[in-house]
Amino acid sequence: MWKIILQRVAILVMMLFIVSVAAFCVPLLSDGDPARTILLSRVSDLDLAPEAVEALRRELGLDRPLPVQYLSWLGSALQGDFGYSFASRQPVAAEITRALGVSITLALSALGVALLVALPLGTAAAMRPGGKVDGFTTLLIQTLVATPEYWFAPVSVLVFVLWLGILPSAGWQSWESLILPAMALMLRPMAYFTQVTRAAMREVIAAPYITAARARGLSMNEAVVHHGLRNGSLPVVTFFALWFAGLLGGSVVIEVIFAVPGMGRLLYEAVVNNDVPVLQGGFVALVGLSILINTITDVLYVLFNPAMRGSHGH
Amino acid sequence: MDIEMADPRLTLDERRRSPLAGTYAFVSSRHWTFKAGSVLLAMVLVMVCFAQWVAPYDPAAQDLINRLRPPSAEHWLGTDHLGRDVLSRLLVGGQFAVTISAITVIITLVVGTLIGVVAGRAGGVLDEVAMRVVDLLISIPDVVIAIFLIGVFGPNYATLILSLTLIGWTPYARLARGLTKEINAREYIRAAEVLGMKRSFVILRHIVPNTIHPVAAVSFLRFGHKLITVGGLSYLGLGVRPPNPDWGLMMAEAQPYLERAPILMIAPGAVIFLAALGVTWIGHGLEIESRGARSRATTNAEEAGNG
Repeated sequence: MWKIILQRVAILVMMLFIVSVAAFCVPLLSDGDPARTILLSRVSDLDLAPEAVEALRRELGLDRPLPVQYLSWLGSALQGDFGYSFASRQPVAAEITRALGVSITLALSALGVALLVALPLGTAAAMRPGGKVDGFTTLLIQTLVATPEYWFAPVSVLVFVLWLGILPSAGWQSWESLILPAMALMLRPMAYFTQVTRAAMREVIAAPYITAARARGLSMNEAVVHHGLRNGSLPVVTFFALWFAGLLGGSVVIEVIFAVPGMGRLLYEAVVNNDVPVLQGGFVALVGLSILINTITDVLYVLFNPAMRGSHGH
Repeated sequence: MDIEMADPRLTLDERRRSPLAGTYAFVSSRHWTFKAGSVLLAMVLVMVCFAQWVAPYDPAAQDLINRLRPPSAEHWLGTDHLGRDVLSRLLVGGQFAVTISAITVIITLVVGTLIGVVAGRAGGVLDEVAMRVVDLLISIPDVVIAIFLIGVFGPNYATLILSLTLIGWTPYARLARGLTKEINAREYIRAAEVLGMKRSFVILRHIVPNTIHPVAAVSFLRFGHKLITVGGLSYLGLGVRPPNPDWGLMMAEAQPYLERAPILMIAPGAVIFLAALGVTWIGHGLEIESRGARSRATTNAEEAGNG
């Protein structure tokens, strides 16, 4: 078991290294000169004095060899220092922390509601494969998966904000401003959660301990509720963690539509402002968090699932 | 029982008749979601391919006097904020998203399947590490990769396709690896090994053909996902450049006029939805069939093992 965990951690470290190299090197591949870009974003004057560009380049340490630059960048990044935003001149790390908080709130609300709907729906569908509920659930899953969230969002604004006038349209002031973005974000996870719940519960229903419980005189519903739900929810919990990791950055369009000051919007504005340090920091934070959460989930799964001990295989 | 590309339920005669009749026979013998999806996808593809000839107006022609007009006999879906015909723009507007999605799906399908099959055949440390990397990559949203790369290199075809393929191959790899492990246990593979056949021959002749059906199912499901992602990037202004029409871009342009002309927002979104629903249905239909075929194959193998 410890061998598996050690292996997971080793691969995590390797992947984090690759991600950091990518975050550092990819901006160097573009033909833009960073010093020029920074000066341009500050003064927005196309006639830049060459001496000023040269001075800034030395100030930023851009005249040093690449590996040295990478190591010093990595060194500060590991201490939580991703430099300063070109546009706002605030520390990138502070901006990311602030935005992450917002995105975590949004992701957890969307996924929480999705789970509340998906668990009973998926279980009900699994109880009678091929039945009415199952058929409806399948159709619902397909519809939700095919719905672009940036289509659902404006239509929900039209209905709830412009016609009914009961919800705020954009911003991040009260809990009410959370509702519409969370609704738009929860569609796809809800579909996948339902699918996973149904598959897991179908397996559970066919399991010997359910037959045993039925033999002891429990009804199917009692047997599933008392003995099946806990086992059936394990894959769903794993899935929840993966979606949480993905939704932190995957909500760009929705955060932009609703002016939610989260990670997605931070990255989007970094693209618009050509703000390389924010792009780098945001990329490392989101991808790093995603694979970190992934590894933690996996290690917990290994620790808590006796069947996984000593063997590899999902 | 192996999964063949050609449908065994069709007679040879039926398949030979003509491409059109063959396609009809192929589609009509399938699950209803496959049929419904095929109709939707065919409509979208006809629209995308023949848009230039079908479109009633020049999609870029502005008419500022007749801007934001509601649907009428001349303009079936009304006009947008520059007086351009919405229907014409809708017809032409799918080319970018559909092309990018199709190219991405083809690249990721080939790369992912090969990686999965090779890992599944190789086994051991290579297999474990490869699948662990897949597990880690699979949850990274491709939008984050896309935004990072577009932020650095600017929006263009190559950047978009690259950013969608970097992570996009992982579901195929995971699926193909699982299938390969299943197929590895079958008798004819052991027979091929005993006969000393070349590794590449076993992979290409015995493994890959057996992965085609399930992989095709997943690729249709992924196609819908890509279509939505590309539309989202266009919505953010990170895709195709105006004045070229594009579904996502049309929706972004419609946002300020949401209350005055909701159809500008609803129509392009509905087309993306229908296209995505079509491929999802096709994928679902294929998935049901391949699952049936696989469980039959497993039962046969088990029976053979017991007997």
